[in-house]
Amino acid sequence: MDGLLALGQAFQQMATSQMLFHVMWATLLGIFVGSLPGLTATMGVALLTTLTYTLDRDAAITVLICMYVGAIYGGSRSAILLNIPGTPASAATALDGYPLAQSGRAGYAMALATAGSAIGTLVGILLLVMLAPPLAEAALNFGSFEFFWLAVFGIVISGQLTGGISPLKGYIAGLIGLMVAMIGSEGIHAHIRFNFDMPELNGGIGLIPAMVGAFGFAEVLTVMWRAKAKVVNATGERDRILPKLVDLWRYKFTIARSGVIGTLVGIIPGVGEDIGAWASYAAARRSSKERDEFGKGSYEGLTAAETGNSAVVPGALIPALTLAVPGSAPAAVLIAALFIHGVRPGPMIMIEQPDFIYSVAVMLIFATIAIAVFGLFLTRVFVLVLKVPREILMPLVFTLCVIGPYALTQRTFEIWVMVVFGLVGFVLRQMNYPMAPLVLGIILGALLDKSLRRGLTLSDGDLTPFFTRPISAVFVVIIVISIAIGIPAVRNAISRTLDRLLKREAERSADG
Amino acid sequence: MTLDSATADRWTSIVLFAVGLAMLVGGYTMDRLEIRQIHPASIPGLVPMILGLAMMLCAALLFVSARAAHTASKAHLANAASPSTATQHSDKTEPNSRRTTSNRDLFFAASYSVVYALALVGSLPFAQATAIYIAVFYTHFTWQSASTTTDHLKRVAFGIGFGIIGAYAIASLFQYGFLVRLP
Repeated sequence: MDGLLALGQAFQQMATSQMLFHVMWATLLGIFVGSLPGLTATMGVALLTTLTYTLDRDAAITVLICMYVGAIYGGSRSAILLNIPGTPASAATALDGYPLAQSGRAGYAMALATAGSAIGTLVGILLLVMLAPPLAEAALNFGSFEFFWLAVFGIVISGQLTGGISPLKGYIAGLIGLMVAMIGSEGIHAHIRFNFDMPELNGGIGLIPAMVGAFGFAEVLTVMWRAKAKVVNATGERDRILPKLVDLWRYKFTIARSGVIGTLVGIIPGVGEDIGAWASYAAARRSSKERDEFGKGSYEGLTAAETGNSAVVPGALIPALTLAVPGSAPAAVLIAALFIHGVRPGPMIMIEQPDFIYSVAVMLIFATIAIAVFGLFLTRVFVLVLKVPREILMPLVFTLCVIGPYALTQRTFEIWVMVVFGLVGFVLRQMNYPMAPLVLGIILGALLDKSLRRGLTLSDGDLTPFFTRPISAVFVVIIVISIAIGIPAVRNAISRTLDRLLKREAERSADG
Repeated sequence: MTLDSATADRWTSIVLFAVGLAMLVGGYTMDRLEIRQIHPASIPGLVPMILGLAMMLCAALLFVSARAAHTASKAHLANAASPSTATQHSDKTEPNSRRTTSNRDLFFAASYSVVYALALVGSLPFAQATAIYIAVFYTHFTWQSASTTTDHLKRVAFGIGFGIIGAYAIASLFQYGFLVRLP
């Protein structure tokens, strides 16, 4: 009841004409960014962070959240019309969206994607409001030992789930991020590490320039390297641009399940929207009566993927707000933006700024309404957006990549950081190293470093409390299991044992 | 050698191993702040040492798995050497001309963008440097699709106009909108 009251108050406070104006332009820009292949949600949020310095706290965070929600939703446009996901989050959408577009039902596919995204975000918002306050309260019991394992858990899980068939590359990406975080003044004795006699490195590597490089410049290079894609004919005779309620009702369980799966995936540190979409898609396919249609233009598959990826957005904000551990790469940038605007995410948020979580929920609701309205009524405009040539867009994007990080501190050193991270990020991406664990490593490096050394100081060098305290022990078990599952020999042994058990069970029931 | 090949992974693993070793040595030789009588478990080099060791371990595992993948792909190629499979394989490969053009585009985009960011910006006023960057970028990438001299001139004219408008719009936004002292 208190939560509802706080939500109502936040709504009343935020529903001003100025805020609604920010919601409209930022969501529209987000959809535009997401729908263009090569412009990702992370890049959009990172670049927009550099444009929100002068706004007040609520307006700035609203703009960034609307960009995030809009970009994740916008990715479905190019997935459906070009068979190229505008953002990695929409890869699963392309599987059914593109066949639907090819059969002349692009408009309806986009309508279903809009409905799925809107409902998915709403499910996520509900869980955000329900889970964030108790999680923040539980996190107050975390000490240095638990925070150390939380940081390790984030890197391991993120590496495991984003590394694809090779979690090793995910772990390496996470380690690179942690190593980058070791540069500059450390948090306990203010000793300066690895500055190579360059005073600019004393403060460490800024997250925003690094992210703009790894997600902005690297994307510019990827787009210029790739062959141009052709937009499929958008509509056919049987097409429509509004979703049928009967279809949404028929897939109500799929939508609800995908919303919950997406939100839960979002809560896992550094995993992100693409995994949310794939997990929801796989769950929908497993339980569907029309599973043969999946991949050939299934309404259910499309709805599941879009609901799943959009639900990750509020889910990713749950650990970002309550633990200062991002659930996805764009959420990592949001954490940096929160600090810039005077909000300190972490367990203390419910004590220092208890209304803020409800304000974020209202921002998400506004963004959801905006994507529903724009998505359903501006279908044809977004088809035109996809036709903007890369030769026009990319130099403008790179110019923003240069001036955005510079504007943060007005030092040309930030431009150097952006360029280095852009080039390294591009090469790593081509070598199939995921970027999410790297980003998470940069964010969690300081927490891991301080928590380990503080914990060891408290225990006088004794490692036992790291393994015997209840929450630490749970983290250790999960981490060990995750790493073990990533080892092919262990994975094969588990699947062989399971096969043997299933066979034995089948034989026993046949005998019986 | 492509960037997503086993050979590239092997070379990367060697580089990563060296980075891990450097981190380990850097952490070990780092000032232990004994003069400030800090707790020995809180020395600043502790986590860098652990990270260095972890990176060396991961690099070694990457090397082993890349070598196994390399051996497997060699065996696969030997099996696929028969004429029928060789034809199928070549059918799926991207045409060489397309790949060369793509690589050339990438090289130009990367090198020109780096020159703009690190050399042009700072040595020229931001708006001018950006106008040159945008105009040349646009003209370069649309040049080949133009067939006649008139088409070429049109592209150049559009590139210059687009560069000037785009550059001054972005510069004005940051200078007057966000009160940034431009480089």
